[in-house]
Amino acid sequence: MGLAIIDYPSSTGALRDIYDRMRERPLPPVYRPAHGGAPGIVTAHSLDPLLIPKVFTTSSTLNGAGPLSWPERELVNATTSRLNQCFY
Amino acid sequence: MSCHAEFLRVALDGNDRLPRAVLGELSTLGDACTTSRQKALVELVTAVTVAPWSLSRAHHQRATVAGLTDDDLLHAIALSAYFGHLNRIADAVAVPLDYAVQLPGHHADPTTPALSPASDIIAGRQAIDLTKRPATATALAEWRTYLIQKDQPITRRQRTLIVRWVANWLGDGGISAPSDVTANPLDGALCSLAEIVTLAPWKLSDACFEELRRDGFDDVALFDVCATASAAGLFSRIEVALVALGT
Repeated sequence: MGLAIIDYPSSTGALRDIYDRMRERPLPPVYRPAHGGAPGIVTAHSLDPLLIPKVFTTSSTLNGAGPLSWPERELVNATTSRLNQCFY
Repeated sequence: MSCHAEFLRVALDGNDRLPRAVLGELSTLGDACTTSRQKALVELVTAVTVAPWSLSRAHHQRATVAGLTDDDLLHAIALSAYFGHLNRIADAVAVPLDYAVQLPGHHADPTTPALSPASDIIAGRQAIDLTKRPATATALAEWRTYLIQKDQPITRRQRTLIVRWVANWLGDGGISAPSDVTANPLDGALCSLAEIVTLAPWKLSDACFEELRRDGFDDVALFDVCATASAAGLFSRIEVALVALGT
C-alpha cells in the first residue's frame, strides 16, 4: 500500500549517494534505526532524491538545537504527529 | 507518532507519562504536562496543525506568560509545520515503522473528518520574523526554490495551482488565488489529492491515487503531487501562524 519506496539495497546513482550521506550524519543513537540504514522517513522521500537534502537540511536546523529543549522539541514532534494521526 | 513518542520517552529519561498522554486522548494531554511551557507548546502546536489562521495576539500573550519567548514560539511553529510535512509523506508512501518502540501509536482512523479550510485569509507582516532563525529561513527558501523551479514530472503550472489551492485552504493571503489560473479537467483530480494531503492526510490510501493513475500519473508523479502539496502546506502554515500571532 502507498507509493513506492526505494530502499537502500535497491538504490543506485544519486539516491545511493544521498542515502550514504544521510547515514553518515552525526545523530544521537536513539535516532538510528536498528537496521543500520537511513531511517524510514528518509527513504519515504526516495522518489525524489534531490528533495531529500532540502528536507533534511531543514530538519538539522530545527531538531539539532534550541532554544526549545530536546524534550520540548519531541513534545512538538509527537503532538503534531498525533494530531495528524501519523502512525510512523 | 510512534517514533516520536519513543524519542520523547528517551528525552525524558524514560519517564513515559507524557508520551502515553500524547498517544492517548488528546483532550487530557494538557493535564499530563508538568510545566506551563509544555502546556503552552501543546496549545500552540494544536493551533498550528489544525487551524493556523485562528492564532492571535491572545495566543502570543498566553504563551509569553507561560514562559515561551518569541524565539521559542518561532522554533515551535517551524518545527510543527515541518513535522506536518513529514507526517504527510510518511502517509503517502505508508512507510513501515523501523524503530523498536515501547509505546506504539495508533493506526489512523480514515473516518475522521477532514480539517476545516481556513475561515479567514491572513495577510500582513509576521509578528515574529522567520529570519530570526537564519539557518531555518535559508533552508526553507532553498526548499521552496527547488519546489517552484521543477518542471517535471508534474508541470510548473500544475505545481503553481497546487501551491495556490493549499494556500487558500490554509488562509495564506500572501499567495495569489487559484482562480487566477484557468482550470482544465485534470485539475479536478489534482485538487482532490492535494486537498486530502492538506486537510486529511490520515485518509491517504491507494484509492486516493486511482483517478490520477488513470490519467497516466505514475508513482513518481503522484509523489511529486503529494510532496508539492505537503511542502506548500509547510510554507503556508508557517507564514499564516507567524502573521496571525499579531492579529
